[in-house]
Amino acid sequence: MQAKHIVRTATSSLGAHKSRSILTILGIVVGILAVMLVVSVGAGAEALILNQVEGLGANTIIVVPGREPKGPSDPAVIDTLYGDSLKERELDALSRSNNITGVQDVMPIVFGVTGVSHEGETYQSMVLGGSELFPDIFGLAAAQGEFYGEDDVRGRSAVVVIGSTVAEELFGESDAVGKNIRVGEFQARVIGVLPKKGQVLFFNADESIFMPYTAAQLYVFGQKHFNRIIVTVASHDDVPVAVADITATLRALHDITDPENDDFFVSTQEDIADSVGTITSALTWFLGAVAAISLVVGGVGIMNIMLVSVTERTREIGLRKALGATSGNILYQFLLESVTLTSIGGIIGILLGAVGSYGITLVLTNIAGLNWTFIFPTTAAVLGVALSFCIGLVFGIYPAYQASQKSPLEALRYE
Amino acid sequence: MALIEVSGVTKVYESEGVVTAALRGVSCNIDAGEFVAIMGPSGSGKSTMLHVLGFLERHTEGTYTFDGKKYDDYSAVDIAHVRNKKMGFIFQTFNLLPRQSVLENVKLPLLYSDVPEREWDALARKAVERVGLSHRADFSAVRLSGGEKQRVAIARALVNNPSVIFADEPTGNLDSKSGGVIMETLHELNEREGHTIILVTHETYTSEYARRMIRLKDGIIELDSPIKNRIRSGEEFRK
Repeated sequence: MQAKHIVRTATSSLGAHKSRSILTILGIVVGILAVMLVVSVGAGAEALILNQVEGLGANTIIVVPGREPKGPSDPAVIDTLYGDSLKERELDALSRSNNITGVQDVMPIVFGVTGVSHEGETYQSMVLGGSELFPDIFGLAAAQGEFYGEDDVRGRSAVVVIGSTVAEELFGESDAVGKNIRVGEFQARVIGVLPKKGQVLFFNADESIFMPYTAAQLYVFGQKHFNRIIVTVASHDDVPVAVADITATLRALHDITDPENDDFFVSTQEDIADSVGTITSALTWFLGAVAAISLVVGGVGIMNIMLVSVTERTREIGLRKALGATSGNILYQFLLESVTLTSIGGIIGILLGAVGSYGITLVLTNIAGLNWTFIFPTTAAVLGVALSFCIGLVFGIYPAYQASQKSPLEALRYE
Repeated sequence: MALIEVSGVTKVYESEGVVTAALRGVSCNIDAGEFVAIMGPSGSGKSTMLHVLGFLERHTEGTYTFDGKKYDDYSAVDIAHVRNKKMGFIFQTFNLLPRQSVLENVKLPLLYSDVPEREWDALARKAVERVGLSHRADFSAVRLSGGEKQRVAIARALVNNPSVIFADEPTGNLDSKSGGVIMETLHELNEREGHTIILVTHETYTSEYARRMIRLKDGIIELDSPIKNRIRSGEEFRK
């Protein structure tokens, strides 16, 4: 018997039980749909996060005080926030272009949380002190007013640029530029307000205020060290060499011979992107696997219906056998019926999944305002079709075998 | 050599510890071109004999040689192929696929044969014409009368041009007029086209279309003789 006729026989008998076939398919559709949605939304979230991480610039290197923490509970984490191993001396060494290959900009950062207030309105804000390079490196620009410049940094000017949430909290609808605010114990003049920007890597720009690091060190935090040193290089390809150069320069400066004794570490955007990517994709596939369990339930449904169908069609099976069908012919016919059912279910599930995840994209971009990109999970789609095919095969084999083993006589007598 | 050679064939059923002997040593030969009626009261083993002869179930003991080869020398696939190519079946309950058309029902054996698909339509139409149902070829099988259904079943049995046609109480579910048409068709197939026909029946009048009668009782052949006052044409029956 030719494959073509097995297919035709299988599809015509499925067509004869339309509503039953549709209901059976539904289990698979829902399973594949769930997998598709999870994987697609997961991939979108991953892209969103990576986009933000990389938005900072793939050429950016961050030098952090203290040795690299081995995990979130490692006491070394404290040093990354309060360590004082990075000072003017280290900044100078890193700024010398013959020390670091491809170096472009070097900027110290000091940060901390402080209460800021204006006319009785108080807000706990992140204070970020940087150089005039800050807006370039982090892709920020003032919506009103301007950012501080080189002179402000050199002259320790008491000026601040405030994030949009800070502006709202302290000034409401009124104009903030030109007004004075209190930052901790000192007065500073607002010279700029940032537009709504959201999370920028390790700080939320909307909830932060920005000022010259010199002023922040002296007036706000009373410290001589930096919390971070940001180094940017001209080309992404220079990053690994620059990282090695930075490490060598600082070790030489601190007389460190054993890397175990490092009092700093160097982190790149790539490291962060890698770990974020690993976590989100692991999470996505884990949730996808959970969703795939519903496929197994769908498969059991298929098996159930196929067994009913075999019993119901005992006469037909017997007749076909009496007319010359071999056990193999019958086996293939029923196997093909279940595979056809699950494959159709899989394809419908993928189409619905694509439409559904596109819908989610629209909701997230238009209503939640996220810079979300629609990602059609090709891998999950291919996997979904293959999986639904296999489910048809696995859960169809037992009913099909039952059908093929029926004796023609028993079948014909069956009432 | 006879088409069918049966020697000392028994058939024993065992169900829940109860052993029933349906055939208790049957021997006979049937030649190609014969029209044999197997008769006997219910429980005599006549249906079992037809099933054994038609490769629908295996006998318990003895030897059954079909077309020069012993049953046990056929593989499972061979058996399916013999049923497909050399045997045609007509059942009391017609056993058509209800949702399919007359033509599709008749094509069913071709589906499992090695006949190329381009010839299917012509073969099926020829078989449908042979039983006088050309005007019903595209009707769905459910829309036919009982007699028409059985004629479709005959067409289906004929379509692969088998050596032997097995008919199990073919008129059992029909009124006498439709039954007569069926018997006449079988009669013609035997008389004019030389098909071997093995008919199981308990009705004497249908058996009278046959040329030879094998009467079974309690699983053994009680009588095996030519039929003397054979009905030669349907005209006589219709009176």
